[in-house]
Amino acid sequence: MNAITRLLLFAILFSCLPLVAIADEGVDFRRVALTLSEDGRILLDAEIVYDLNETVAEALENGVPLTFETHVQMRRAEAWIWESDVVEHRLRTVLRFRPLSGLYELRNLSGDEQLSFATRAAALGALGRIVGMPIVARDDLDLDQDYLVQVDVRLDIEALPLPMRPMAYLDGDWSLSSEPWEWRLRP
Amino acid sequence: MRHWRVDALAAAMLVVLLLASLHMISAAVQRSEELGQWFIPLLLFTVVGLVLLFALVGWNLGQLLRDYRRRVAGSRLSARLSVLFLVLALLPVSVVYFYSIRFLSSGIDSWFDLQVDSAMEDALSLSKLSLDLHKLERLKLSENLLNSVEDSSQTAVALSIDGLRETAGASEMSLFDVQGKVLAVSHANPEFLAPTPPDGGMVQQVVGGENYVGVANGPDGRLVVRCLVLDKAQRGLVLQALYPVPQSLSELSASVQEAYEAYRTRAYMRGQIKFSFALSLSLVLLLGLFAAAWAAVFTARRLVQPISAIAEGTRAVAEGDYSKQLPQPKVEDELGLLVSSFNAMTRRIARAHNALQENRRKLQTQHSYLETVLRGLSTGVMALDAEGRIQTANRAADQILGVELGDLEGESMNVLAELSESLQPFVERIVEGFARGVREGRAEITLYRGGGRQVLLCRHSPLETEADAPPGHVLVFDDVTELVKAQRDAAWGEVARRLAHEIKNPLTPIQLSAERLRRKYLDKMPPDDGEVLDRATHTIVQQVEAMKAMVNDFSDYAKPTKLQLKSLEVDPFLAEVAALYEGGTQHLTMALDVPGMVVEADPVRLRQVLHNLIKNGLEAAGRDGHITISSHGGEEEGRDYVEIAVNDDGPGFDPDLIRQVFEPYVTNKTKGTGLGLAIVKRIVAEHGGIIRAENDSDGGGRVVLRLPAIGSTHTGEPSVQGGRA
Repeated sequence: MNAITRLLLFAILFSCLPLVAIADEGVDFRRVALTLSEDGRILLDAEIVYDLNETVAEALENGVPLTFETHVQMRRAEAWIWESDVVEHRLRTVLRFRPLSGLYELRNLSGDEQLSFATRAAALGALGRIVGMPIVARDDLDLDQDYLVQVDVRLDIEALPLPMRPMAYLDGDWSLSSEPWEWRLRP
Repeated sequence: MRHWRVDALAAAMLVVLLLASLHMISAAVQRSEELGQWFIPLLLFTVVGLVLLFALVGWNLGQLLRDYRRRVAGSRLSARLSVLFLVLALLPVSVVYFYSIRFLSSGIDSWFDLQVDSAMEDALSLSKLSLDLHKLERLKLSENLLNSVEDSSQTAVALSIDGLRETAGASEMSLFDVQGKVLAVSHANPEFLAPTPPDGGMVQQVVGGENYVGVANGPDGRLVVRCLVLDKAQRGLVLQALYPVPQSLSELSASVQEAYEAYRTRAYMRGQIKFSFALSLSLVLLLGLFAAAWAAVFTARRLVQPISAIAEGTRAVAEGDYSKQLPQPKVEDELGLLVSSFNAMTRRIARAHNALQENRRKLQTQHSYLETVLRGLSTGVMALDAEGRIQTANRAADQILGVELGDLEGESMNVLAELSESLQPFVERIVEGFARGVREGRAEITLYRGGGRQVLLCRHSPLETEADAPPGHVLVFDDVTELVKAQRDAAWGEVARRLAHEIKNPLTPIQLSAERLRRKYLDKMPPDDGEVLDRATHTIVQQVEAMKAMVNDFSDYAKPTKLQLKSLEVDPFLAEVAALYEGGTQHLTMALDVPGMVVEADPVRLRQVLHNLIKNGLEAAGRDGHITISSHGGEEEGRDYVEIAVNDDGPGFDPDLIRQVFEPYVTNKTKGTGLGLAIVKRIVAEHGGIIRAENDSDGGGRVVLRLPAIGSTHTGEPSVQGGRA
């Protein structure tokens, strides 16, 4: 079985997985997919819908930077609770409004990538698009093992300006997070 | 003490940790970039610590309340001191808190006044205007650049893009078709091969016919102007050009933007900032309050502890525990002095108490010894107080007086007379002695008891009890009845023996001589003389016989008797004796009223007594006289007795002699030895009885003898009433 055939099988397998669109508060997974790249890496593609409530939107319009974190975690399916993750990625992106330019700015904290958007919707759309995020090389996995992959997204309250944190912890409007998106994988 | 130390150490550590936490919270607020991540954990730690401190305070207050309800020594004072300390701490802290919150609130509000708002908005507008001019200029330049390319093919335009970028002084220039596909890119930095992607909205705007120009932050933080223009030559091209804003304008605009953003964010966070400050201040307040409350309770309890210990010790001493010693406080202050004084006091009390106990034990031993001795005495001992009230008496006193004196403690002596009439002479004599102020005395007191005559030999002496109290009295008395009787009997026996000896010896020669004279000379003498001689010798012999009889009486009286005691039923015995006098000239009446009553007596001796009494009665009554023999029973001091009375209707006893009629040689008869009633009395006395003589109010004499009864065979028969002539 050559690599292309395996890639196709993987693509079919993961595409058949039920799409999860379970929202907790304001964050939905519209589509999530794992694909195997040609170089043997498992990639994550996701489309996430952010629906900011009035409180969070008001804070954004008033210059408060919002940090969103996409957390990707892979564990052995039979792992004990103290066993460390096989892979863990945290994709942190800051969204803020620039009053001088009137643009919404997205900055990837890990890659130092920065994008500007004329509208909030465009900025949130870009924020929610994850394309080809490398998770792990397939060769690093045990082919006889099942793995659990979990993805969740949340607004990082700890990254808010310090005076806002206590209230943000107490105010449910600031609890922006998705339900964990989880599935079993055998590489 | 260990408990106190652990408590104090735990609380102190907790307070120190909380202070450190609050300090770090303060540092986190001031340097949020470095320590901001610790803000919430520190906040949680502080809240948990405060809850623990509150629990510690609550536990201490609970203990105090429990002690207060149980009225533990010192708890009230502890509670009062705790409340006082707490109020003293609460008032200033509350005032500081109240005004701090107010000052904070007004201070934060003062950051954001209308003028500053307006100035910030104006500064931003100014920057926007300045940038807008620059943007319009760059937009125009970009439009002109695209229009200046006359070649109609996209390829030509793509090939000329480097020249265009350099001409325009743009940092990046890229060309797209209307679908957004990149046709060409030119970057001042050749390392950048991909264009900065435009926002889909921007492209749509441009495709819709409206060119886009905007300012964005470049990767190096410098502002850039982004222009997107649509090719007017209908070549389906969109040109994106990024122009760096001039350094000075960029810096000024960035500064204004930064200040505006910071101001606007702070203005937005005004409420949260107030809340954070209020929260921090409240945490500090709570820490202060809880620490003060704990310190108040702790200090109050520590302060009061020695006092509580002293109170406990005092209570223990009051309950008789004189060995109580209190732990000495380490601090040498007034309380320490108090504790050491208390300990010294209890040591002295304990020593004194032990000595007292020892003395009491010795006293009890002596008392027991004395009691044993007194109990063993046959002499009655009675202690009286100064007013003559009975204090104590020994068993012998009870037996002699026939009264339970133990029941009469504190009662006057007169109660004795009320209880037993026969004790009247005894009481009168004693009371009279007290009344006369006799301190010491000795007397012989005769009582007439149910059981017969009783002679008491009493001695009285003062009894010193307490130094300043009037002395009491101690009465010591012996029942000398038997002794007196024995002495008297012995004396009379000696008299009688001597009389018999001295008189009886010459009587026989006298009698023999007289008979011999009569026998020798009667026949020889003339009748007249013979008659004289006969009468004289007859008289001599007769008188000698009389003297012999008298001497024999004396012998009888003096002779020690040995009673043959038997149980005698009184009434039949009296009837039997009386039967011997039937047929006489005098009337004899029986009035027997003790059917079945039995006495213990020698029948011969008792018969002798009765004959003597009846004979005396008959003699006193005269030829036509009338005597009555009666019997009746009674009970005195719990003992039964029988009284036998012989009444006559003669002249009665001489009132002057009536008290001595039972003494030897006391008689009002013209003949007789005068020993009859003395012998009767002696026999009655030997039977444990008493005898008395008295005159009836309607004339006549009566002799009554009382004998102790030993039982009854009473069958309910009627009493004997009858008379004999």
